[in-house]
Amino acid sequence: MSSVESVALTPVAEKLRERIARSPLASRIAVVDLDLPTLEVSPADWPAVARFLRDDPECRFDLFLDLAGVDNAKRHGRPSRFEAVFHLLSLSRDEHLRVKVVLPDGASPSLPTVSEVWPAANWFEREAFDLFGFDFPGHPNLRRLLCHDAFVGNPLRKDYSPGQRWFFTEEDLRMPDWAHTEERAGHFETQTISIGPSHPATHGIIHLIARLDGEKIARAETQIGYMHRCFEKMAETHTWNQAIPFCDRLNYVSAMINGVGYVRTVEKMLGIEIPERGQLVRTILSEFSRIMDHCVNIGTNLVDIGALTNFWYLYQPREGIYGLLEACCGARLTVSYVRVGGLAIDVPEDFVPRCRALLESIPKFLDDVDRLITRNRIVRNRFAGTGVVTRDQAIAWGFTGPPLRASGVAYDVRRSRPYDFYDRFDWDVPVATDGDNYARYLVRMEEMRQSLKIIRQALEIFPAAGPVSSDDWHVVLPPKDAVYHDMESLIFHFKLIMEGIRVPVGERYDWIEGANGELGFYAISDGGRGPYRLKHRPPCFPMMAAYEKIIVGGPISDAIATLGTLNIIAGELER
Amino acid sequence: MSGVVDVGVKQPRKLTVLERLYIPEIVKGMGVTIRHLLRNIARIRNLPTILYPERRRDYSDRFRGKHILTTRADGTLKCVACYMCAEACPAECITIVAGEHPKIAYEKYPVVFDIDMLRCVFCGFCVDACPKDALWMTGNYEMAFFNREEAVFGIDKLIAKQGLPVKDGLGYRPYYPGDGTRPPGDASSSPVIPGDGEREILREKGLDLHHTEGPGPLNAASLAADRRGR
Repeated sequence: MSSVESVALTPVAEKLRERIARSPLASRIAVVDLDLPTLEVSPADWPAVARFLRDDPECRFDLFLDLAGVDNAKRHGRPSRFEAVFHLLSLSRDEHLRVKVVLPDGASPSLPTVSEVWPAANWFEREAFDLFGFDFPGHPNLRRLLCHDAFVGNPLRKDYSPGQRWFFTEEDLRMPDWAHTEERAGHFETQTISIGPSHPATHGIIHLIARLDGEKIARAETQIGYMHRCFEKMAETHTWNQAIPFCDRLNYVSAMINGVGYVRTVEKMLGIEIPERGQLVRTILSEFSRIMDHCVNIGTNLVDIGALTNFWYLYQPREGIYGLLEACCGARLTVSYVRVGGLAIDVPEDFVPRCRALLESIPKFLDDVDRLITRNRIVRNRFAGTGVVTRDQAIAWGFTGPPLRASGVAYDVRRSRPYDFYDRFDWDVPVATDGDNYARYLVRMEEMRQSLKIIRQALEIFPAAGPVSSDDWHVVLPPKDAVYHDMESLIFHFKLIMEGIRVPVGERYDWIEGANGELGFYAISDGGRGPYRLKHRPPCFPMMAAYEKIIVGGPISDAIATLGTLNIIAGELER
Repeated sequence: MSGVVDVGVKQPRKLTVLERLYIPEIVKGMGVTIRHLLRNIARIRNLPTILYPERRRDYSDRFRGKHILTTRADGTLKCVACYMCAEACPAECITIVAGEHPKIAYEKYPVVFDIDMLRCVFCGFCVDACPKDALWMTGNYEMAFFNREEAVFGIDKLIAKQGLPVKDGLGYRPYYPGDGTRPPGDASSSPVIPGDGEREILREKGLDLHHTEGPGPLNAASLAADRRGR
């Protein structure tokens, strides 16, 4: 580990080094300048450094974003085999930070837990325990999370061969210890019930174990992983472009945004820019996907609390948007429309008129739902004051996106770090302060209107013609006409298909605003044909982790409403 | 750029007396639903929900459905068994066994070309990968099987039937009519095509440069083992 003073740094990292110098452990923290300012610390120092980073008034990295384990067994140039890579965010300064905890070789990989510093770390550490076998001494509930209890081995280690099967039977199901004990509240008996895994209100397959004291939930725990397919391991065994269809299946309600987030990360690593027209198509379709995501979220949420009509009204705009996506790329749900360096195919001729027609029709449906729901007394009673998440809780639990904004923090990636054209458009970030289900509903409703506003402005500057993809044929497939008739193009085509894109050695964390919150991808390349490691930061993962704490004290009916407004998408939750 | 809007403030927490009385709100709500009802009766033939399978949704001509193997003018497959679609496939659902074509101009052809429709994710990467314009997709999305073997579509199910319309129309393909690109030249129309049996004559004279010993097609079992080992 190099000492703090020796390396020349960019201004951002230099600033960070000045801040770190105030820490008593400064001499033992290395500052490295990668795509993000990066600290390297040893496991023993980590909890103290974590506290310093969170509490120091000039650091204030208060939001825990992500924990990615890395196995360096097949990679050169790293000091030890295992690393735990943390990504943190300072909300007050809109600044990201990476911390690498380098785990020494020899003993089994272990680092102290930081789940007391950032409660959001709890589930991320369980995930690293599960997938990498990292031990976190002091963790309150260190059990497998995504893989089932009969699973053997740690799938994301490089020596774990994919394709192994471990069978799970009912006997292997491990309920939490407290579920077996008897508890009494006064002279009344409490009872433990299971909601799910297959329950219509869990939208996906989520197992909620709740101890009921009368109507109230006294204690709860969620078990997930029923839809885990280890997307990250699959990405490691495929090429960079081949991971795009897998990304569609993360948040399948707004598949387009996932693809954009992923390819942006790879494009940053390659250092290529895509043409304006391509960027605008991505922006327009991403915003339409955001509307679709919120429509599905609000629609199904209202069905859960008994208001079916709105579901039909909100699914009609979604149908129109699906039609538009299908006309562009040939699929409604799993679009696979983006490619590294651009888009698979140019938009159809009637793209702009179709978008304009949608812009005309969508507000009518939103107005109808607004009229039926927003000032409806029953909805008000079900939503207002239930599922409350305070500002501090939302930050501590690692919320991003609409739920964080509904708790009073105006953090939106499109505003804090405008990508594509978001800084040129005139739009507002909707926030609310109550942090309850009603606030989350209001924020989503307003966000849809803001998205329409963004699309309207994007269409105004949308060029009538022009390329949608980069012309770098080391990255993008040459046009078919050239491939058929020109030898050189055919060679580029052949090299790209057979060998894949060559991404320079390095690592990158890149983030955009998903429909659910900050959608991050942390990619490492070793120069091979595919990602060496790809970590996806699922926005709904920390929210699901906090869910079992939010619902305590309320009845089951409130828990169902809360599950809906947090917008849990199993595909991205369990990857 | 613009500011931040507090949506909580726009919606006062307290409901008015009228709103709390239920009845006026119910009337207002019924107004919305009855308007939808009347509008839907007026456009009964054009509802957002459709009576499938009697009526079908119109999909664009980019729809990514069942694949189709295109043919040359003489009815042979355009595919030259180059394995590029199999290599590009993220689901690894394409199995090709290459053979030596009797016509030298065609060089290679697929003896086996299987797509496992249960594995396929319909991403269209195979269509993008094909350098010979040999693999397209169609608008056909109705593929029901009684068992897994049936779900593996071979050449017989994938080949474009000469003179017959494609079921549900063409879908995702490398170029569309009028987009200015040219299809690849057809080897059968090229002036120098040695005919059937020409290869045999060349072989007898010792002039065939291609490897001629042993069976043409690769061993399917070793190919499958190779794919598994990857």
